[in-house]
Parts: sequence; C-alpha cells; structure tokens
Amino acid sequence: MTEIALFGAIEIGLVYALVAIGVYLSFRILDFPDLTVDGSFPLGAAVCAVLLIAGVNPWLASLAAALAGAAAGLVTATLNVRFKILHLLASILTMIALFSVNLRVMGRPNVALLMQDTVLTPFYGLGIPDHIVRPLVVGVIVAAVVLLLARFLGSEFGLAMRATGVNARMARAQGVDTDAHVYAGIALSNALTGLAGALFAQTNGFADVTTGIGTIVVGLAAVIVGETVLPARALALALIGCVAGSILYRLAVQLALSADAIGLQASDLNLVTAVLVAVALILPRLKAKASRSTKAAR
Amino acid sequence: MIVVEDIHVTFGRGTPLEKHALRGVDLTIPEGQFVTVIGSNGAGKSTFLGSLAGDVLAEQGRIAIDGTDVTRWDTPRRAGLVARVFQDPMAGSCATLTIEENMALAAARGRRRGLAPALGGDRRKGFRDRIAALGLGLENRLHDRMGLLSGGQRQAVSLLMATLAGSKILLLDEHTAALDPATADFVLDLTRRIVRDNRLTTLMVTHSMRQALDYGDRTLMLHEGRVVLDVAGEERAGLDVPHLLALFAKQRGGAEISDDSLLIG
Ligand SMILES: Nc1ncnc2c1ncn2[C@@H]1O[C@H](COP(=O)(O)OP(=O)(O)O)[C@@H](O)[C@H]1O
Ligand SMILES: [Mg+2]
Repeated sequence: MTEIALFGAIEIGLVYALVAIGVYLSFRILDFPDLTVDGSFPLGAAVCAVLLIAGVNPWLASLAAALAGAAAGLVTATLNVRFKILHLLASILTMIALFSVNLRVMGRPNVALLMQDTVLTPFYGLGIPDHIVRPLVVGVIVAAVVLLLARFLGSEFGLAMRATGVNARMARAQGVDTDAHVYAGIALSNALTGLAGALFAQTNGFADVTTGIGTIVVGLAAVIVGETVLPARALALALIGCVAGSILYRLAVQLALSADAIGLQASDLNLVTAVLVAVALILPRLKAKASRSTKAAR
Repeated sequence: MIVVEDIHVTFGRGTPLEKHALRGVDLTIPEGQFVTVIGSNGAGKSTFLGSLAGDVLAEQGRIAIDGTDVTRWDTPRRAGLVARVFQDPMAGSCATLTIEENMALAAARGRRRGLAPALGGDRRKGFRDRIAALGLGLENRLHDRMGLLSGGQRQAVSLLMATLAGSKILLLDEHTAALDPATADFVLDLTRRIVRDNRLTTLMVTHSMRQALDYGDRTLMLHEGRVVLDVAGEERAGLDVPHLLALFAKQRGGAEISDDSLLIG
C-alpha cells in the first residue's frame, strides 16, 4: 500500500466514523434499526455541495447538511413513533424518498466541487501535504464529535435516551418521555450521517446520489469491527471503538483491493462488506448454540 | 391521597377477545396507608395498579392523586407522583446500565432532564450512602451493570430507586413472586422498612393471603374487576387466612375456591 493510499484509507475511515457513530446510536443505544442513513448520507453531501456552489460559508454548509440529516431522521421517527410503522420499513420509506429528494436538491445526479472553498481550504496552505491535511482536519472534527457525544450520553437527557433503548417500560415508569428520546436520538444519528456526507463531498470534491448505497452496511461493519477490537462497556470507549472500527475496516478494504492475488475490484466492496456483516451477526448465535449444546452434553 | 371513582377498563374493545378488566372500582386511600391487594389470577389486580400508574387509561371514571386529577395523564407524566416495582426483577431496571446509572435515572423521576452530567457533583456519594443502607454490600459495586445482580438484589435496588425522587406513592405488583422464599422475606422486610421510613402510600399486590394480612394496614380483594372485600383496622386484625378464604367464597356467592394461587401461605 502506498503512503497516499494509506492516508486515503484513514481519511475515508474517519469520514465514515461519523456514520458508524450514528449507526451505533440508532442500532445499539436506541435499539432502533434505522436504514435512513443510506439516504441521509448523500442528502448531507448534496445539501453541502449545493450550498458551497451558492457561495455559502463551508462550516455553515456543513451545519446545514447535518440539519438536513436530522430532518430526515425525524421523518423516520415520526413514521415509526406516531404512525406505528415498523422501524425498518419506516426507514426504508424515508431512504427511498430521499433518493428523489437528493436529485431535486442537486438538480442532477452529481455535482462537482472544483474551485469552491471547503472547510479544508484554510489548512491546505500550511506546508503539510494535502493527503495528510484531509485526515487531520476530519480527525479533529471526529474527535470533537466523540467528546461532545460522550458528554451528552452521560448527561441526564442522554442517560434517559440510553434507558429508552434498553428498557422502554422502565424508562417510562421513571418519567422518561420515551417517544421524545427516540425522535431526538434518530435525528442526532442522521445529523451525524448528514455531516459525514458533507465531509465526504468536501474531501472528495463531488456529491453523487449513488454514494449512499450501502452506507448502512459500511456503518454497521465499522461498529462491529470496533466492538471486536475494543469490547468496552464504557461509552466513551465504545464511541472510540466506532472510529477505530471504521478506520480498520477501510484499511482492510484497501489491503484487499491492493493485493492483486485476491483479485477484488472496488465494485465488489458491497458484497464483501455485506458478507462480513452477515458473518458477524451469525457468529454470536452459532457460539451461543455451541455453548448450549456443550452444556447439554455435560 | 389517592381517590379512585368508578373506573372502568376494557381491553380489546369490539374484538372477540374483549375483556372488561375493571368494572367500576371506587376507593379512597388516605396518605400513608399501606394497602395489600389479593385476588385470583385475572381478577384485575395488575390492571388496577396499571391504571394508577398510567399504563392503562380508564375509559370511564376519575383518578385523583393528592387532589390533582390525573385520569388522562400518561405514565411518564405520573411518574413524578408514583413509583413502582414490577414482578419481573428484569423489568424494573436497565440490565446493561450500571447500578449508579439506574439510580441516577430514578433520582430524576418527575424532573426535567437536562444536559448536566447524570452522575456529577456529589451524586455518587449520595447513592453510595443510600445503597450501603441496604446492607447488601452493593456500595462497592456501583459501577457494575445491573444485569450482574441476582433477582433479589435487583428488587432491593428497585425498591431503593423508588424512594430516590421523593414520590409519595409506591405500587408493588407481586414484587417478590419471582424470588426464592428467603430472598422474598428479605425483600418484604425491606419493603416494610422503606414504606415506614418514607411514609409512602403503598399498594402491594400479593398472591399470598398470609402476606396480605401480615403486612400493611388494609386489605383489598379484587374479583372480576371489582373490589369484593375491603377490610382494615380491628376487623382486619381479627382475620386469619381461613376467615379470609371463607369471606372470599361468600363474596363469590358461595362457590368453592379452586384457585391455587389464593391458597398459598
Ligand atoms: N394488555 C391486555 N390486553 C388484553 N387483555 C388483558 C391485558 N392485560 C390484562 N388483560 C386481561 O384482563 C384481565 C385482568 O388481568 P390482570 O389485571 O393482569 O389480572 P391479575 O393481575 O389480577 O392477575 C385478565 O383477564 C387478562 O387476561
Ligand atoms: Mg397480575
């Protein structure tokens, strides 16, 4: 692997770390399998790109992307909480709708960012090579998100959100408005994904409606890899695990792609990732089954 | 004080499985009273407690707590007034959160939850002191996940959690039924102590007639969604289990009692 490829993998890993953290929030903390991210990631990219082209400040454009993601999350949460549609189906509906919305936002399937200033622009002239500047800046943003989120989840409000995911009946008996916490959590999860989309557009120089496909699987893969390498109970560590998982996943992908012997192409990525996630989901069951049958044998 | 006026609850209205679970319950429970509730399976005991907690909304009638009409309030809104411990030890706490996090959740019951750290300041120390008083040695395990505790320990912590936010009403729905006899006795003693020390108005559902008479100061018997027996004071003091069974049989119109759950203890 070349140095450029290495830093490229770290950079994309850091961008998707925000998706992983979002997926961790929905799947793990709220126990709400939310596929909206496949739509909110390109939505964030689209909103950011269009605003940048319109001359909006890159930080404001990124914030707008996060807010757009939050709005998408609220749609899913409303379909589920208010109208009792199964969470998976609710999120698929939003995701499909967003495909059209994203085309509308951009007016065409893809938008290139050529001369526009991005959040990275001020850091390019500092004498550090561009391929290192990008992961550095994204890394600082991710670190800030991890810090803020760890604090948030340790707050009274955040604790109530975690209780909502673990035992909603108990949470309600403790006065937690569980519905409100589902709205807030799914909005936050998709806001992070929208922000990831915005950073993707700015680091790669384009937004494309098809970049969303498989976002959820990549996010889940990162969460699972993170849980494997950093099996932590403490929340802050679990969030760091998401980041580490996302980077490791990208490094593994990069290695697999650069090893000619395996003969993988970039287009095989979704298949490989899906298989990886499926195996990771099946393994614990098999293990549990195995330990049950050994117990029974004794 | 709890005032319940003619409440009715029907499950599955208009379906073949329609069940009129509460059929006009009328009660006044003065502040600080400890009421035990008995009745055969399906009598409506859990539904009654649920209607006080807000889990099921009465379709008819009125519920007032300390003079406030709460008939239409949902569970989270009533939580500031009412604390509960469930039958299933797993139901009353969050298994994957730590003991101190569970306590912090309960301590904020009925308050607005903001962005201040849930375990900030001297909260931890306060929790440690409170849990040390249980005498279970849990004060050194505040960072352990709740799921690691035994059923009895979880019920004990749940009882403690019920007292952390200063609500004055405690609802216990067969909270010792899932425990072994020795543990159940410990939890019952703890219940008595906590109710007394915090002067809680308490409703305790039990499947044991013995417990129903030994604990508290008033006993209700529910049958088919109605209160069929309501004894307190001297009348209650003169009762023993056979009397109670006979009274129950009379209330049912002389029918034999066949329900095993009523004969225990
Ligand atoms: N959620 C529900 N849906 C339908 N029927 C219910 C529900 N909860 C309770 N019931 C029915 O209402 C009646 C009273 O139940 P419950 O209050 O749980 O009785 P108890 O606690 O006295 O054993 C029973 O016939 C029960 O089957
Ligand atoms: Mg019951």
